[in-house]
Amino acid sequence: MILNPVDTILTFVLLSVLFSFGSSRLPMLISVVAFQGIVVSIVPFFLGHGMTAGGMTFTIGTLLIRGIIIPMSIYIAIKKVAIHREVEPIIGYHASLLCGLGLIVAATYLSRHLNLPSISHYTLLFPTAIALLVTGMFLLMARRNAIAMVLGYIMMENGIYLVGTTFSVRARHIVEFGILLDVLAGVMIMAIILQNIKRTFDDVDTALLRTLKE
Amino acid sequence: MVEIIFIVPFITGLIAFFVPKEIGRPLLVFTGAIHLVLSLFLWIKRPVAYFSDYFAITPEGLLSLLVISLLFFLISIYTMGYLEESKIQSENIFTGFMLLFLSTMTMVTLSDHIMIMWIAIEATTLTSAPLIYTHRSGASLEATWKYVLICSVGIAMALLGSVFVTLAMDIGQVDAPLSFSALTQVAKSLDPLWLKAGFVFILVGYGTKMGLAPMHTWLPDAHSEAPSPASALLSGVLLNCAYLGICKTNKIMYAAGLNDFSSTILIVFGLMSILAAATFILKQNEYKRMLAYSSIENMGIIAVGTGIGGIAAYGAIICMIHHSLIKSSLFLSSGNILLGYGTRLITNTGDMVSRMPKTFIAFFSGFAGISGFPPFGIFIGELFIIVGAFRSGRYVTIGIFIAALCVIFAGFSNQIMKISFADFEGTIQIKEKASMVWPQYILLLTSLIFCFYMPDTVYQTIVDAVTAVGGGLR
Repeated sequence: MILNPVDTILTFVLLSVLFSFGSSRLPMLISVVAFQGIVVSIVPFFLGHGMTAGGMTFTIGTLLIRGIIIPMSIYIAIKKVAIHREVEPIIGYHASLLCGLGLIVAATYLSRHLNLPSISHYTLLFPTAIALLVTGMFLLMARRNAIAMVLGYIMMENGIYLVGTTFSVRARHIVEFGILLDVLAGVMIMAIILQNIKRTFDDVDTALLRTLKE
Repeated sequence: MVEIIFIVPFITGLIAFFVPKEIGRPLLVFTGAIHLVLSLFLWIKRPVAYFSDYFAITPEGLLSLLVISLLFFLISIYTMGYLEESKIQSENIFTGFMLLFLSTMTMVTLSDHIMIMWIAIEATTLTSAPLIYTHRSGASLEATWKYVLICSVGIAMALLGSVFVTLAMDIGQVDAPLSFSALTQVAKSLDPLWLKAGFVFILVGYGTKMGLAPMHTWLPDAHSEAPSPASALLSGVLLNCAYLGICKTNKIMYAAGLNDFSSTILIVFGLMSILAAATFILKQNEYKRMLAYSSIENMGIIAVGTGIGGIAAYGAIICMIHHSLIKSSLFLSSGNILLGYGTRLITNTGDMVSRMPKTFIAFFSGFAGISGFPPFGIFIGELFIIVGAFRSGRYVTIGIFIAALCVIFAGFSNQIMKISFADFEGTIQIKEKASMVWPQYILLLTSLIFCFYMPDTVYQTIVDAVTAVGGGLR
């Protein structure tokens, strides 16, 4: 079987997913998220859905926001508040890596059993989307650092974006537009909260946030 | 031009950020009044939307819209008094986001397109997060963080579900607009597997926002930390908005003949919520959190009713309307208690019956209403749900349902008795101003009137809303 360009770049995304399971430093994780953001926004280019001028603008806008603006602003945020740059894992890195491997195997297995005519040429599309999604959720649950959690959220949105833009041709732009807007606004609000958490507690370790219970 | 109804609060909301509080407060009431007039106009005229692909007037949307308008108008009057008593920093941000929140919630009730619905519900999260953080304390920060994070993840699940629904269209080779009304008509030809997957994800996603257990963990924190007018809006209206998303998707499931599947899931989530509320309400020591758990309970009741279908679906809509009216009045009263006693803990309050008699009347009758005493509407709604369950032979479901309601009633009344009649030594810090008790009275009175007299057009709208899920009073 000859690999097509989509599968080739998605291989790198899968590798970056594994990488994010094992990485302990925040700046590293940010570049991983930025890379994934860039890839998921250019994948539609290669799918041959028929690009219009409007679609092109959208894609470039997405690329800018996902690949550059959001990661940059988070990077600046950690520089500014100068918090320690560990992701503070609840589940250790080695165990995380094992989870990641299991996840990719499971996602690949699952995608073989689904009947998806629109993407049947692209073997890696579905596994990658699932892997991004679950990795995002994993980071949200297994890391205590609030910034790592935000990065997990963005990764999850990247996965959904991949599903939304490639699986279904229908209403693509409205999906793109909606997700873009929400990610942008969501990350902005989260950033503001982050700054306030930092100011109030002098750290962004979410273990400090435990006064409200039950 | 249906869209004007959410454009107006959007614009006034933006204006409110830049005006001093002397203008901001009246602006809130003024916008509430315009919104109420506009939504009454929609009820009478039923015009067609300008962007008819994206927005439409649906019966369940109209019902929620009316509740939103009425609630917001009364809450805005209360807020005038509340803002004078409580010291809130940067009040313009508070009023601005209240109005933006109103705008986004109105958009939810009118949206017919799956994606627009999703965008609008996500927007409600973003516009309400600053409201929760109004008090700028560590605890409110934690509540906001939890709210934004849990709800964003939930809503992301709903987005995935929406994408799966479009996938069901592709595989079933259906060519129709991506709107709830169009999909309900072509539901039979959608691919059942992906439609089911879509429904599950949408239920989990919007269920997070609606406060269904086990995704409810943000709700008690957010409701207790937000200022009381905002809690009243969150509990009375926002939860309904999330329910709308589930209700509309459920209609598609019914039309596709997959109602057994969707009913079971709805009932399971509903019962889990009621049980979770029963567990936590018993040992609750803060009254606002107690009210929040009661909201989780009521959302559970609504989900169970919707799941059972038939007459129970009618009961669910009745419960939804009355829960909004009564619970928002309770939250407003809890604002008075908070200002009066200066504490959220039940043990530090007491003797409300003689210290704050006007608030006591509102709070106690609200309690009677919410726990399902006749003649309030919740009683009627729950009765319909129970009857519906017996008719469809779901005896186990209804057994758990009734038992949990009894436990909740016991826990709830125990706490209310403490607040109302226990000994209290300290002093009350505020006077009970008319503008801070009348809105509650009007809300409760409206609920009471709706039990005995329901205008034909309202009745017809409720029936229209539930016929698609086999509902009605037959």
